[in-house]
This record gives sequence, structure tokens and C-alpha cells, in this order.
Amino acid sequence: MSEPQAGAGTASTPADAAGDDLVRVENMVKYFPVRTGGLVRRTVGHVQAVDDVSLSIPRGKTLGLVGETGSGKSTLARCVAGLIPVTSGRVIFDGRDITNLSRGAMRPVRREVQMIFQDPYSSLNPRRRVGAIIGDPFAIHKTSTGGERKRQVQELMERVGLNPEHYNRFPAEFSGGQRQRIGVARALALKPKLIICDEPVSALDVSIQAQVLNLLADLQRDYNLTYLFIAHDLEVVRHVSDSVAVMYLGRIGESGPRDPVYRSPRHPYTAALLSAAPAADPDTAAARQRIILTGDVPSPIDPPSGCRFHPRCPKAEAVCGQQEPPLEAKAGDVATHLTACHFPVRAGENLAVAGRSEPT
Amino acid sequence: MSITGIEAASQETAASEGALDADAAKIEGRSQWQLTWRRLRQDKVAIAALVVILVIVLLAILAPAFVSITHHPPNIAYPNTGEDAAGNPVGPGTNGFWLGTDGTGRDLFIRILYGARISLFVGFVTTAIGAVLGVIVGLMAGFFGGFIDTVLARFTDAVLAFPYVVLALALAVVLGPSLTVIIGVITFFSWAAIARIVRGQTLSIKEKEYIEAARSLGAGPFRIMIFDILPNLLAPVLVLATLYIPTAIVFEATLSYLGLGIQPPTASWGDILADAQNFFQTSWWYVVFPALALLITTLAFNLLGDGVRDAMDPRTERVLAAGRGRRKRRGKRQVLADGQSELAAHAAPYVPPAEGS
Repeated sequence: MSEPQAGAGTASTPADAAGDDLVRVENMVKYFPVRTGGLVRRTVGHVQAVDDVSLSIPRGKTLGLVGETGSGKSTLARCVAGLIPVTSGRVIFDGRDITNLSRGAMRPVRREVQMIFQDPYSSLNPRRRVGAIIGDPFAIHKTSTGGERKRQVQELMERVGLNPEHYNRFPAEFSGGQRQRIGVARALALKPKLIICDEPVSALDVSIQAQVLNLLADLQRDYNLTYLFIAHDLEVVRHVSDSVAVMYLGRIGESGPRDPVYRSPRHPYTAALLSAAPAADPDTAAARQRIILTGDVPSPIDPPSGCRFHPRCPKAEAVCGQQEPPLEAKAGDVATHLTACHFPVRAGENLAVAGRSEPT
Repeated sequence: MSITGIEAASQETAASEGALDADAAKIEGRSQWQLTWRRLRQDKVAIAALVVILVIVLLAILAPAFVSITHHPPNIAYPNTGEDAAGNPVGPGTNGFWLGTDGTGRDLFIRILYGARISLFVGFVTTAIGAVLGVIVGLMAGFFGGFIDTVLARFTDAVLAFPYVVLALALAVVLGPSLTVIIGVITFFSWAAIARIVRGQTLSIKEKEYIEAARSLGAGPFRIMIFDILPNLLAPVLVLATLYIPTAIVFEATLSYLGLGIQPPTASWGDILADAQNFFQTSWWYVVFPALALLITTLAFNLLGDGVRDAMDPRTERVLAAGRGRRKRRGKRQVLADGQSELAAHAAPYVPPAEGS
């Protein structure tokens, strides 16, 4: 990576964050209250969806956020987009603090931060025509009307690879990939700086995934877009990302530039995820040893003490359940490759063997 | 609904979008409504019901024309030609009275036509007002949730739990029976069921990703309600409304039958039926024809509502294509516990047994 040091770092303290970051998330916490039903509602606990997460994305770059279902990726995205209020922490966008702004104050920011949603079927209103859906951003921000808007919409449709003559069709008349292109066009309409892609290709066929990913890459190059790219497909993230952050139970376990993280993962969870990704080459697949994690993801209402991964970690020792490991650069790694682990994985270490021994 | 700045703005955009949509219909087709109409056309029962309704509406509109043919205005009694020697009504076809006369020697056919005007007017007006109110209340309750929802939903439940005849009786006594009171009372009971359905639908639509997408674009609550939620509500509300018209008609007949509705000498089906009670042993036509008018009208609306609901449910297309009968589809629909069939359960909670009387 040829990035300046602070820029390439995905998780950095507020102090050393350079001015070239488009987005900085500082110590973000998002708890959802768990309430009892009935007339008098008592809060009996909190779902700790995002717990003390810091990250930053340099202008024009892509941060891939990976993690399994329930790790808090989407919650983090919605907090950054200002769709749900954060419990504490800050979101700095383009030098401005946009944390928990009122709807009116958020309006100008909405033009610069857009989202692409996961499900191309439920993210488009089935009762509205495609022209109206893509024209929505113009209508809401009153930037153009009538024929001018129609022209803009058709330009956008052409830009994302849709036939502009299909302007009057309903979403149901399009395939999944085309629908996702509609979603991309809608996000692109106001020429945003940041696009948050919440698993934009998870619902698509693999061949269609590549088309949409290539479209996103082209758009990034042409418009100098910055992406926060959320996925659970590690290969997709490797393809699109400049840097990667791995989330587990609301915390970041490991983050850093793409290649070091993929080549030598230091967190046992990252190593396990990477070993679980299917390989295209059957010889490689046969030779490879998978790290089988035991148990399920614990409840985010009552997360484990210390390192949140310790109940499932093949390397866990007593200290892991008591002390929370700081997110820091480990010996031998580049300064931007950060890992939150007491016993980071060494190069060549075979966790698959360690996994067979009973973890404490 | 108060006109806020946001709303005014969205109405402005509504106008321009409307223009786009009209443009759209020319080039592309096959909107939800066209598909619905296409399916409805296949349904012979629904089309027959629609024709019957149109005929009834036409007859009601043309009532004065029939008066000029028969020369029997609705409120004029004909003691000489309209009653026999014993003072009883004359039968159908006698002395130019097509369907006979009523207890005071008035032309029954003409009175049934004028009664149809009242019934249809009450049916359409109360349903329209009820639907608008129900949509507003349900949309607000479902969309905003929290305190607003608690208040509105509890109020809706209270209205639904109210014994409607008791309230109607009380109001008619206090305010004096009149067409306005009738419309008010029926509307008061008709919006609640619609509001409840709309609230439920809103709650489910609210969670869809396209609502979140609209919010992420910066759309305000009123814009989201009007542009994103309302279009999805129109189908169920239309079905409910079609099924509600006959209920309102029967309700009006019930109130008039009890003497609390339309006051004599204005003709109303319920009123005619109440008078006919005294003559049913001697003059069968006096009871049968107004009762038939009521029965045919409500049946036609119910069958049409059924057909519209089937046509709007995309799943029925498969069944139609397979060439299966209407009866089988009905049975299947009850098994599928979805929102659409829930409509039926809510749509007919209080059909008073007026037909039989």
C-alpha cells in the first residue's frame, strides 16, 4: 500500500488521524435496549450491537467490513449513514461531526452519504416506476423537476448499464442484477462522496455479482467515490477493498491493509474465517486445513468477558476471559495492521491442530 | 391532516410526478391496476355483479325519468287507483302500478327506485369518508408508533367494541333522525375497521428496506407516507371499501327500519320494509320487492368485492391459469392466513340481519 500511514490505517486513534480521511468513526457504541412487553416497559438489558469501534476510510478508497451475521456490521453502517442514532462516540464526515444530527441538519449530509442495500427486491418500492424511484433523490432535494429530472434519471440509468427506455417500468419487470443497478443509480444520483454498500451483492448470483462489483469499481474510479463495503464473502471483500476490518460481536478483531491481513491473519477468528472460505481450485481445497470453531456466536445481550472471542478460540487461555486485548499492531506487522488478541497467530502456525484440543 | 410545509412540498412534487406517470402509461403498461382489471375480467361472477351494480345505479339516477313515464311521483298517494275496496294495496301490474302499491297507495316501484338513491348515496358517502379517515388514522398510528399509536389504536379498538345499534339509537333520539345523523353514525363505525387494517399493513411496510432507502435519501415522514406507503395500501383499502358499501347499505336500512333513519315520506328500503310488515299476509309484493332490492344490491357488492380481492392477489393468477373453479380458490384462500384474507374477516363484522325481516 502506498498510502500515507494514517490514511491506510483502518482503526486509528483520533489524535493521529490525518486530514485525508473522508470518514472517521471514533469509539462508536450502539446499544439497543431490550424491553419487557406489556404496559409498563422495563429495560432489562442491551443488545451490544456495536461496542467501541473506531475506524477511518481515506478519500477514494474502499474499506471492507467483514464478519458473520449478527456481528454488528449493518448496525455500524446505519449509524454512519445517520439512519439510527448512536449511543456514544462520534462520526466525522469530511471534517464535520455528523453524529446524531437532527433530520434538518442531516439533510445536506444525505446528499453526500448514500447507501446501497442488500436486498434488491425489498429495497425498491414495488408500486413505483423505476423513473420515479431513481428520480426520488432529485425530488427530495428539489434539485430538478420535470423534463430535466427525466433526462438526469435516464443518464443515470445509462451510466449503470440499464436501458434508459425502461424508465417507465416497475421494479418487478427487472432481474435481481438489474434491480441492484437501479439501487446503485439511486445512490449515485446526488453525486455523493461516500457510498455505504450494505452487502450489495450477497443476494445475487455469482456471475451477476462480478458485473455489479465491476460497475462499482468503475464508478469509484470515475467519480472518486469512497466505499464502506460490507460483506460476509471474504473473496468479494478481497477483490474490492483497499483495507479490511473484521468484526466479531460488535468489536473489531483485526484491521489493516488488505494484503497483510489476508496473507498473514493475526487474529484466530480472522484465520478461521479465511480457512473457511471455499477455494476454487480442488487441489488447494483438499490440501487446506480448515479451522473448525466450536459453538455458536454468543448472545450480544450478554457478551463474554475479556476477549469476546475467547469461548470459541482454539488458543484461548485464562487471561483471555479476564482482560480485554487492546487493538494494536503486533510485532512484525506493518504499523497499520492492528489486532486485538493476547496470543496473535504466528506465521505458519497450525490452528486446525490447536482447535482439536479442548479450549478452556 | 394539517398542511405542513413538508406536505405542501410533496404535493407539489406529486403534481409533477403525476405528469410523469401519465406519460408512463402511454409507453409502458401493465401497472398493478391493469393487471388487476385483466384478472377481474376473467371472473364471470364479479363482472356479472359489476353489471348488476351499474344497472342499479342507472335505475337510481333515472328515477325521475320513470316518474315521468308512470306519472306517479314517489310521495303521492293514490287512494282511488292505488288501493282496493278494502283499503289494501293493489298488486303488481294493476292500474299502471308496475310493482303494485304500498300501504297508503303509493307506487312501490317508484319508491324502491328513490330508496335506491338513498341507499347508494349513504353506502358510497359513508364508505368514502370512512376509508379516508381510516387510512389517515391507521397510517399515522402505524407509522409514528409510540404514544400516537397507543392513543389511536386504543380509540379504534374502543369504537370497534361499541354496540353500534345502541349508539345509533341514542344519537337519533338526541339529535333527531336525519340523513346527516345516519351518515355520521355509519361513518363513525366504518372507519375503525379500515384503520385497523391500514395500521397493520403500515407496520409491515414500514420495515421494508425501501422505506429505509427513502429515509437515507432524506425524505421526511409525510413524503414517505404519501409516496412509499400509501401506494401499497390502495389495493387492500379498495377491497375493504367495496366490501363495506353493502354493510353500510344494510346498516342504513336497519336504522330506517327501526324508525331512526330516513323519515317518511322520503322513501328508504328499510322504511318501506317496516311499513310492509303490517301487510305481508295480504300483499306479498309489498315485502318481497324492497327486500329483493336490498338483497340483490348487497349481494352484488359483496361478490364484486370478492372478485376484486381475488384479482388483486397475484397468487390467484396461477390458479386461474390452471383452470380451477372459483369455489376451490375460496377454500384455498382461507387456508392462506395472509393480510388479504384477514380483510374479509374484518370487513363483515356487523352485518345486521335486516334482509330476513
